[in-house]
Amino acid sequence: MNIQKINSWFQERADEIIKKRWLIIILFVITLAIGFNGLKFLNVESSSENYFLEDDPVLVKSEEFKEIFGNDYFVAVLTSCDNSFTNRSLNLIRELTNELMDSISYADKITSLTDIEFLTGTEFGMQIDQIVPDIIPHDQNLLDSIRIKAYSKPKIAERLISKDGKLSWIILKLRTFPEKEVWKNEPNPVVPEYLTGSEVENIITKEKYRPISPKATGMPYLTYKKQNYFGREAGKVMSLALVFAILVLIFATKSLRGVLVPLITSISSIVIVYGILGYIGYLIDSSMLSIPILLALAIAIAYNIHIFSFFRRSFLIHGQRKKAVTEALSEMGWPILFSALTTMGALLTFLIIPMKPLQFVGFATSGCVLVTLLIVIFLMPALLSFGKNRKPHHSFEKKGGRWLDLKLVKLGSFVLKYPKSIIITSVVLVVFLIIGATKVEAAFDVEKTMGRNIPYVADLLDISESELGSLYSYDVLIEFDENDKAKLPDNLKKLDQVATYAEGFVLTKRTTSILNIIKDLNQTLNENKEEYYSIPENENQVAQMLLLYENSGGTESEYWMDYDYKRLRLMVELSTFNSGEAERELADIQKMAGELFSDAQVTVVGNLPQFTTMMQYVVRGQVKSFAIALVVIMLLLMLVFGSIRIGLIGLIPNIAPAIAVGGVMGWLGIPLDMMTATIIPMILGLAVDDTIHFINHGKLEFNRTLSYNISIRNTFRTVGVALFLATVIISANFLVYTTSTANNFVNLGMLAVIGMFAALFADFFVTPVLFKWFEIFGKEKR
Amino acid sequence: MKNINSNKMVWAMIFVIAGLNININAQTLTGRQIMQNVKDRPDGESRYSEMKMELINKRNKKRVREVKSYSIDIGEDKKTIMFFLYPGDVKGTGFLTWDYDEIGKDDDKWLYLPAMKKTRRISGSSAKKDYFMGTDFTYDDMGSRNVDEDDHKLLREEEFEGHNCWVIESVSKDKQSLFSKKISWIRKDCLVALKVEYYDKLNKLHRELILSDIKKVDGFWQANKLHMTNVQDNHQTIITLSNSRFNVDVNEEQFTVSNLERGDI
Repeated sequence: MNIQKINSWFQERADEIIKKRWLIIILFVITLAIGFNGLKFLNVESSSENYFLEDDPVLVKSEEFKEIFGNDYFVAVLTSCDNSFTNRSLNLIRELTNELMDSISYADKITSLTDIEFLTGTEFGMQIDQIVPDIIPHDQNLLDSIRIKAYSKPKIAERLISKDGKLSWIILKLRTFPEKEVWKNEPNPVVPEYLTGSEVENIITKEKYRPISPKATGMPYLTYKKQNYFGREAGKVMSLALVFAILVLIFATKSLRGVLVPLITSISSIVIVYGILGYIGYLIDSSMLSIPILLALAIAIAYNIHIFSFFRRSFLIHGQRKKAVTEALSEMGWPILFSALTTMGALLTFLIIPMKPLQFVGFATSGCVLVTLLIVIFLMPALLSFGKNRKPHHSFEKKGGRWLDLKLVKLGSFVLKYPKSIIITSVVLVVFLIIGATKVEAAFDVEKTMGRNIPYVADLLDISESELGSLYSYDVLIEFDENDKAKLPDNLKKLDQVATYAEGFVLTKRTTSILNIIKDLNQTLNENKEEYYSIPENENQVAQMLLLYENSGGTESEYWMDYDYKRLRLMVELSTFNSGEAERELADIQKMAGELFSDAQVTVVGNLPQFTTMMQYVVRGQVKSFAIALVVIMLLLMLVFGSIRIGLIGLIPNIAPAIAVGGVMGWLGIPLDMMTATIIPMILGLAVDDTIHFINHGKLEFNRTLSYNISIRNTFRTVGVALFLATVIISANFLVYTTSTANNFVNLGMLAVIGMFAALFADFFVTPVLFKWFEIFGKEKR
Repeated sequence: MKNINSNKMVWAMIFVIAGLNININAQTLTGRQIMQNVKDRPDGESRYSEMKMELINKRNKKRVREVKSYSIDIGEDKKTIMFFLYPGDVKGTGFLTWDYDEIGKDDDKWLYLPAMKKTRRISGSSAKKDYFMGTDFTYDDMGSRNVDEDDHKLLREEEFEGHNCWVIESVSKDKQSLFSKKISWIRKDCLVALKVEYYDKLNKLHRELILSDIKKVDGFWQANKLHMTNVQDNHQTIITLSNSRFNVDVNEEQFTVSNLERGDI
């Protein structure tokens, strides 16, 4: 491609833009206003189920599961005090139980020490009553008898009250959340999960419950807390980033316009892109909301700095404003357009990962890049063209540039002087980092991704580590080929074997299935004799017991055995989380149950399998998207520069940030999660800009000088500063993330900075050496 | 549903009596009075019916249960005995209830399980808000709900499916109640509800009951088909009555545990 020709095309456009600058400004303001209006339709959510695409097999399975067994989400509250069996504690537990049941909109069924279907058998009948009587006594003997009753059925007690009587567990099952179309049409639509979480929060934080210090858990509550936390945290991080960006821009440009224009560019690109996402009703995960914003800020600053620094240099030299604008666009227009295209290409590779938050990042970031490009190409020259001409700044020409420019020319000379040492050092570093990169592990659990520094995460983890609580769970679903098979005693006995097997796992806290109900019923019907805590021998007994159970108001059986008696469900709750172990246990239980139930289909569903699937998607997607991004970049480089060699050489500095980020993650044990997964393609998208600017100018200079040494030094002078400043500013922005209390924000910030600098170093040290060694622009004229 | 087309257990919602001698002056009636009249409507002293219950979930899966049922009124209270005819694995299972009108008094229930040859009395605080045997009808829907458990308001009078109806809103006084309010369309001519809408705590429609195939049996009005749909989870229950008889030859002494175990009365 003929760069000179392209540049003159850009020059013509610049002239036109200056002529029609008012029209451009008006069009921009209208677009911005339309985008702004779309912001109110933004759809921000935090449920991890929204991570999957609608047709994802995991989601399809999970929807099917919900259809059969109802809402698998629940809310649970852990109370803790010195002794739960006092008049005051029991009264408070009861009050809390009632309030949760009465005030939570989607409450379905509550189970607590004070509200439980407690079956007791007598010689004459069966009684369903409560452990705690209607009037809670003060008398110690009576309180002791409540305690004895509570522990009389160990299998039930272990789910309700801790052995020392200090902790109690309240579990609230929820009605199936209505379809989106239903709640969306409400006057004040609130996502059911979020609504549930906020209602729980309102109740447990009441002063009156302080003596039993209630702490809540469950996915809706986690969603609510996550959304609030990220709302605050993203706000905090983004305002800090803005302040940082302003400070760096003041330092770098020392001009009001130099500060304002990039800010206007980035903010408008975000408003326009998010506005469009609002109009089309795109779902955005709260934790990912800030990533495109930060990237837009970074891109806007980088693009503006390229144009602005060129504009200023020209303006200082000849003092003619409009001419400087035209020159800036004609020289920088093409590399900016091209780097925007490659950046978008890299970012769009997120779309191959079948996870909504990552696809959102792909759409939103590449959208922001496109809008930023349009603003920078059209609006910025228009804005810069306003103002008077100045006297030429002769000292600038004499000194050969400013201080930083000169330092970078020196750096260029240094690189040209020690190519071998630089390459050897780089190779050693790369090997070291690649070893690290092989150690990277994917993890999606809150402890690793968010960390205990966040108060709500610490609370959640405390609960799941306590004797009663749990956070993660999975369900083993056994589906027979015919109806009514699920209630056959033989199959129930096999289910019992599976449960026992699962209980032997390191991560398992407890299991729940229809067996808990059937065994309890059998015992109750047989005068509470412990030997009857077992599965009945014949089919009719099971059927009639279940009928008895339904008739006595028992509703839980439907959670564990389906409508046609065709499916059984075993819920396994975990006490701790470890992604590798979890994956192994899931595979184990599926295999074991599959072999045992040869006439049934065994699947594993729930939040834990969802997490492991996500991990697989992200890891696989990460590798794929990185490979595709590299190929896209390589092809674009080859096409544009008309040389296969340039395409290949140009790739090397782009692989550097990925190796650096991967290596550091591996060596520091930073997990690959949804947030860190976004770094490599994002940095790749940003880093390619540096390479393009470097190659583009290198080629331009080489065509002028036909000398690698001179053209490399000149390239350092022309684009070196812009590259350096862009990297510093973008890094400063990312660095702000490290002030967060959330691990994934800190990791994102740190790794992005490492990636950015890896790219810059590769471009400053490695690219020039490769230029020269491989003579990528052609033979030198000696 | 509760106070509308009858009282107590299954029968309650099913039978509708429109005596020609019922002369109600709508102008002077309040919502509460209408509901009291509905509740007080005569429906025979005793009755027999065979009932087919089809439970359909949103995946269109069906559970079918068939029972025969006798009931008798004893003052404001009511005794019912039911025997399962289908499916086979529960055949012979019997269910006896003594249903009390008094607010706060728990019903007495016994269940006989032939596979274990055991009768179990089910007592205690089994909540009335629980669903009856997996149907979309709650015990509360099927049993007698004291008129004063709700605040009633006559919203309007309108024609519904070709019948003059009162439209009554009943707001539950009990916060634990499954519904926050219900709206009933009650036929003026026979004090039978044609439709009842149940709203949840968020004031959203939760369940809808449609009564149809309304005709006179033994001189009493009866809705032979009750179709309850939970519009939020798309679960439905269709109860169809057959071989109904009123004022059958039964007495209070037959509603006992020994008859329950015998499998007939």
